[in-house]
Amino acid sequence: MSGVWIISEKRRQSLELLNIGRQLADKMGTHAAALLYHDREHAEDCVSHGADEVMLLPPLAGEEPAESRIPAIAEEAKKGDPDLILLSATPRGKNMAALLAARLNVGLVSSCTQIDYDEGSKTLVMERLAYGGAAVQKVVCSARPAMATIPPRTYETAMPKSGRQGNIRELPSPSSSAIKVIERKVKAKEAKDISEARVVVCVGRGMEKEEDLTIARQLAEAVSGSIGCTRPIAEELHWLPEELCIGLSGIQVKPDLYLGIGVSGQVQHVTGIRNAKVIAAVNKDENAPIFKASDFGIVGDLYDVVPKLISELKK
Amino acid sequence: MPTVIACFKWVIDEAYIRRGPSGDLDFSSVDYKIGEYDRNAIEEAVRLKEASGAKAIAVTVGMPEAAKGVKDALSRGIDEAYFIADSSFGNLDSSQTALILTEVIRSRIEHYDVILCGEGSSDLYAQQVGPRLAEQLGIPCISFVQKLSLAKDQLVAERRVDEGIEVITAPLPALVTVLPDINVPRIPGVKDTLMAGKKPTAKIIKDDLPPLSEPLVRTISLTSSRMERSCERFGTDAAEIARFVGSLRKKGVIG
Amino acid sequence: MDFKFTEEQELIRKNVREFCLKNVEPIAAEIDENSRHPAELFQKLSDGGWMGIPIPQEYGGAGADFLTSIIVVEELSRSCASTGFTISTHAGIVCTMILLFGTEEQKKNYLTPMAEGRHLGAFALTEPGAGTDVMAVTTAAVLDGSDYVINGTKTFTSNGPTAGTYLVFAWTDKSAGRKGMSTFIVPREAPGFRVGEHFKKMGLRSSQTSELIFKDCRVSKNNLLGKEGAGLPMAMAGFDGGRIGIAAQCVGILQAALDESIRYSKERIQFGSPIARNQAIAWMIADMATDLSAARFLAYHAAWLKDQKLPFSKEAAMAKLYASEAAMRHTVKAVQIHGGYGYCKGAKVERLMRDAKITEIYEGTSEAMRMVISGTVLR
Repeated sequence: MSGVWIISEKRRQSLELLNIGRQLADKMGTHAAALLYHDREHAEDCVSHGADEVMLLPPLAGEEPAESRIPAIAEEAKKGDPDLILLSATPRGKNMAALLAARLNVGLVSSCTQIDYDEGSKTLVMERLAYGGAAVQKVVCSARPAMATIPPRTYETAMPKSGRQGNIRELPSPSSSAIKVIERKVKAKEAKDISEARVVVCVGRGMEKEEDLTIARQLAEAVSGSIGCTRPIAEELHWLPEELCIGLSGIQVKPDLYLGIGVSGQVQHVTGIRNAKVIAAVNKDENAPIFKASDFGIVGDLYDVVPKLISELKK
Repeated sequence: MPTVIACFKWVIDEAYIRRGPSGDLDFSSVDYKIGEYDRNAIEEAVRLKEASGAKAIAVTVGMPEAAKGVKDALSRGIDEAYFIADSSFGNLDSSQTALILTEVIRSRIEHYDVILCGEGSSDLYAQQVGPRLAEQLGIPCISFVQKLSLAKDQLVAERRVDEGIEVITAPLPALVTVLPDINVPRIPGVKDTLMAGKKPTAKIIKDDLPPLSEPLVRTISLTSSRMERSCERFGTDAAEIARFVGSLRKKGVIG
Repeated sequence: MDFKFTEEQELIRKNVREFCLKNVEPIAAEIDENSRHPAELFQKLSDGGWMGIPIPQEYGGAGADFLTSIIVVEELSRSCASTGFTISTHAGIVCTMILLFGTEEQKKNYLTPMAEGRHLGAFALTEPGAGTDVMAVTTAAVLDGSDYVINGTKTFTSNGPTAGTYLVFAWTDKSAGRKGMSTFIVPREAPGFRVGEHFKKMGLRSSQTSELIFKDCRVSKNNLLGKEGAGLPMAMAGFDGGRIGIAAQCVGILQAALDESIRYSKERIQFGSPIARNQAIAWMIADMATDLSAARFLAYHAAWLKDQKLPFSKEAAMAKLYASEAAMRHTVKAVQIHGGYGYCKGAKVERLMRDAKITEIYEGTSEAMRMVISGTVLR
């Protein structure tokens, strides 16, 4: 047996994984399979987007955590012996991937940004960032299956093809975990998902007071963009929710335009914006590292520059 | 009296990494530090100790030079340390590190309630040592925790998941990986640092351990990740602002 | 020879640096501009145990060697020379003098609260008519029953407005010449004591400086530090340690000037390339880096001698002389490298240059240092 497996619970993420998964399966001359969570419609969607086989995991009891599914998935992986298993590098995806890799005693490449199949040596070469984004690390997994987590939006979603056929089957019920979920707090999203935004206005530590976020919002409005922020703004000052925090340990964005205001440009933050088409920044410190990572930079006080920008944009 | 173990890694401070002439990484003037996220694990262990009278133990695997890191950890309020050192331990993969930690915790630490790890090491950030260690020890693993408390025989944790937050209970012993926002690590005072060397540290060498396993992930290259950007500068007067906005429009990124 | 720091010293340097980046650097320009004593910062310094570094733990300090305390002064000064100096005067001179010469009771009542960081100490020798010439002091103390009664005015007293404990020098027997001056521990609440005029300074502006006025100021005879008549030798011993502190402060200023100059000269583009590529600029930076190393080694060596309990007066004077003149010389160059930007408020080098000047003046002028050094080598 062989194959490229993707494991995902979200439609969009599964279609992104299927895009790269299908490409690799074709190169490797094998099939692509999707392991999903109890959603028939989603399963059929995956078939039309490139999955030859879909395995559906039965629903969980209310207090069971996602990791109750690990034993069943591991069993299935031992039987199916895939070449590669892909998950999304979201908190749950990363957790599930690490536990599954530990259970299978195989290598896992976390937050993988690129996967290539070398047909000569028949190996999968994967790329990821290291040292807070300062370095690119190329790795290979030495045990089978190879595993990787891939940050959302790294790949486009797969294109659907009508008339594609695939086998859908149910996996056995999950076991019970020692961990219990006693409460789920779904976060009310303050803004739209910034990983989807075409323009991101990012607020950094150069912003002096929480009230001044208004300036950033006005600028975001003028460029039809969404607000994001650096780690200190979300985690130390709590001015904005964590899901707007951009960087290595937060969200990776891929907008057409990233506009940083008062962002110094720590390497961990810059890692989260490296895929932006255009990076622009306003900072009063002309030596701020953000300028080295920017296409366009204005050296000036954001309190002076941003209002001018807004009125220029409205012209 | 509960026992809390914090695992940490003594890593290269990425701020000192330079780009070599051919895109290679220049490590010639680097300094080392306790991994950013591991500092939160150490701080949380010390907080649990201060809240419940627990004993806080730190464990690290690394090169002999990491001895300084052991002192650093002890200066942050840890009571005793296990230091597993060998000059070949500079490039272990997460599975190897987890196996070494498993062996040492199993054979040397009779009783423990919670093992804390950072959400990832700040050098390679593979985010796997914690889950792999929990799997080897056969204990529950709760990742990405931003709030933690100990009750009798169980822990209560708030962990970050894709949709928001899950409040979790788990029986002890358990392993927890912590997010940076769980606490603000203290800066040790001079006295704390001077007293660190007087605390007990057990040093364990390679020969004390079973043979090292093979790595599951092999690094084939490590190069500088330079971003190619045009780095054009603008001033703040009206003409420059107009030129800036014009440049964005020309790129087609704003309407 | 061994030029290696201990692991503890290396860790402590990193910790102070982190403390400074978080707590000192962000306010340094503001407290300079407003000549403000940052009480909130000193609270953090005392919470972190940074106020009594070279004082034994039994008296509330950290129990570190003098070299370690010098590293801390250097790193604090790299972010804010005023803060580095305040700590240096407090711990390196006032606390250290009570440790060296105080009775057990004085150590308990005055040293311990200061080393724990509950309040600052100040050193009061200089008077309107007595600077380098200490014999021109006019403040006098007379024994009256079980109290000494002090009369006189001190000036340019660092930490004057903010301290809780003052070491005050006064004649107890003017006719005995150099053996007639004594040192008194004066608590702020002593009757007859008040803080006079606050001075507005060119630099080191967040360090508070004032006159001290003693009008029939009464302190118990238990507040005499050491023996009657032993004041001047004690003051000299205090100065010797203090001068190493000033040298360390200068090393911090120099390091900051170098950091800023390297950063700016690599970023600033003129005639199509960074100004660091001009030899005129590159050589200024080479000289700055070289003098920084020289000043640093002189300061560390003097501190090391003190820790080894070897004579160090001459080396302390040399360290202070060299480091302070190097700091002045190179902060001027740093402003030059920054051009017009360096001359404007908001540029760190502008503050560094103003802060550097005082180091050639206080705790013994450069001229006084040359007197000490030549006096020793020509003996």
